[in-house]
Amino acid sequence: MTTGASISVGLVRDAFAQALFALRENKTRTALSVLGIAVGIVAVIILGVVTKGVREKVFAEIESYGLQSFWIYRNQNVADPNADVRRGSGIDNDDLEAIRLGCCPAVKHVSPRVYFTEWNVLARAGNRFTRILLEGVDAPFLEISKDELDDGRNFRPTDIEQRRPVAIVGSNVQKQLFPERSSAVGQSFRYEDMKFTIIGVLKEKNREFLKSIGAAETYNINDHVMIPYTLHQQMLASKDVHTMAGEAVDKASIQTAAEQVVDLLNRHHFGRYQYTTETMEAWSATADRILTNISLVGVIAASISLLVGGIGIMNIMTTSVVERTREIGIRKAIGAQKHDILTQFLMESVFISTIGGIIGLVVGMALAYGLTVWSKLDVMPSFLVISIALLVSMGVGVASGYYPARRAASLQPVQALRHD
Amino acid sequence: MIQLRRVSKSYTAFAHASVVLRDVTLDIPTGQFVAIMGPSGSGKSTLLNLIGCLDTPDSGTYELFGQHVDQMSEDQLSMIRLRRIGFVFQSFNLIPRYTALHNVELPMIYARVDPAARTRRAQRALELVGLSQKLAHKPSQLSGGQQQRIAIARALVNDPAIIVADEPTGSLDSTTGHEIMHLFRRMHAAGKTIVMVTHEADIAAYAQRILYVKDGRVSEGVLR
Ligand SMILES: Nc1ncnc2c1ncn2[C@@H]1O[C@H](COP(=O)(O)OP(=O)(O)OP(=O)(O)O)[C@@H](O)[C@H]1O
Ligand SMILES: [Mg+2]
Repeated sequence: MTTGASISVGLVRDAFAQALFALRENKTRTALSVLGIAVGIVAVIILGVVTKGVREKVFAEIESYGLQSFWIYRNQNVADPNADVRRGSGIDNDDLEAIRLGCCPAVKHVSPRVYFTEWNVLARAGNRFTRILLEGVDAPFLEISKDELDDGRNFRPTDIEQRRPVAIVGSNVQKQLFPERSSAVGQSFRYEDMKFTIIGVLKEKNREFLKSIGAAETYNINDHVMIPYTLHQQMLASKDVHTMAGEAVDKASIQTAAEQVVDLLNRHHFGRYQYTTETMEAWSATADRILTNISLVGVIAASISLLVGGIGIMNIMTTSVVERTREIGIRKAIGAQKHDILTQFLMESVFISTIGGIIGLVVGMALAYGLTVWSKLDVMPSFLVISIALLVSMGVGVASGYYPARRAASLQPVQALRHD
Repeated sequence: MIQLRRVSKSYTAFAHASVVLRDVTLDIPTGQFVAIMGPSGSGKSTLLNLIGCLDTPDSGTYELFGQHVDQMSEDQLSMIRLRRIGFVFQSFNLIPRYTALHNVELPMIYARVDPAARTRRAQRALELVGLSQKLAHKPSQLSGGQQQRIAIARALVNDPAIIVADEPTGSLDSTTGHEIMHLFRRMHAAGKTIVMVTHEADIAAYAQRILYVKDGRVSEGVLR
């Protein structure tokens, strides 16, 4: 005859009807409160997406370039009066050999990068052309730059020693030159009067976020064509190495590794040059700062709008309790206990705030969807973020409805019945 | 079953305490139909609210079904009202947004009756008061007499032992008032204890016993 669930069914239906009634009765006031909650929940979702989704994705992107890796190159100083210093890359094969022989213990391995000053050149296959970033590297380069082969193989020592005309190409190059093939491995292309055989194709790599915070556009690994650095040096008739790419033995020793290399270069070149060291750490710091700022703005926006919405709901509920004093008296006369009245009014305020929460959720999801389509980063809020957003909106309902509901619950039945 | 012993009640208004009931001692046995009469402002409603457990005495004791009502908490009083007492008011006191059926279901919602049984019992109660055609009507769409019938159905639906009515015919014309009294007579015949406040002698005449309230004291009246 009596069940615990039945009370909730009756009361929930009642509270829902009453919340809708309140929405209709005090349109502006309710709309503003609902809006406040909705804006707050949108902010909560953005916050969740940024702290959870975007952060993970951004750091995954940064990590995909190797957190243990460093790049060292000479500061170009064309104004230096010393002609010797103006020319030259400040790094050469002897430095490379010294590191390979183990003179920098924090360095796991290195690869030279040899390229033109103008390294955006044309490659041709049949009647198709594409712009490529041609550079000469050594076999460890793929590991240092955390590039993975989609197909084919890495350079072998013999490719390097014998200066074989073989190439590993980025995914864009394969798409542009061999669009009809599933793999470009085994195909060949021409650059000027040379013909290269493709031995490997790289997996596509994301660069959206790094580009958006200022990483160079020309760096896109997907346009790269890598050939043995020995061959490229021969083509350029120079023993210069333009950048020393290296990997530290572990993440913690990345600064030590870079310092050891710079020390070595200074010793070998008598301190004639200045060098710049780049690590992904610098980019992570920038990313971290940007994301923290976004989160902070989100927290402030969320708090302010939830507060405004919450105060609005408290106001609606207080008015509602006063207007319904007689009704409360009737309910108490009939036999309603304090907690019956308390839950009734609490559910009403939770309903109003949850309506705001759901609107905010829909808008937030739409924004996240738009952002996903626009930025190509998947930033759709996770189930956790959605649950948190809904819980927060309900929490605001409880917090702002509690005081009015308590007042309603503690009304004296006789006094309440005399009210009109 | 209703036993008031030296019960007093006073109200403080504008820092001035006025005694409404003085040392009232009263017994009402089970199944009795009692009418309370007296001048306006004499304390009839105050007495009725005490009997109906809506209010508690300042001093004295009130025993109902052998339980000391004067020592109960608010929620315990709610439970007594829910299970043992049905209220009928002069101004009907229905919830205006609710349909007749929903109004009658309300006490069962608080009594945790499951929805199917609730609707069935509410329909039967409305049938008993002759309103089976008006289940979906709101109070504003009904006449005063019809509204009071809903209120009676609501008072009866949890099968209470006592019906407490404060001027149940006070807002109704004479004919309608007598129709309502026929319902009271039927409730009485069904074994309910009825305590009813009224100003009208012909309405009081339906009762077995009349109490007069004057100057804070209660005295037995004579049936005329
Ligand atoms: N809540 C209250 N606060 C202050 N005074 C009250 C309160 N309730 C009743 N009174 C006073 O107590 C006295 C008795 O009131 P009560 O309502 O019991 O009279 P009544 O006999 O029912 O009158 P009527 O016939 O007009 O309904 C009145 O003077 C009234 O003003
Ligand atoms: Mg009265």
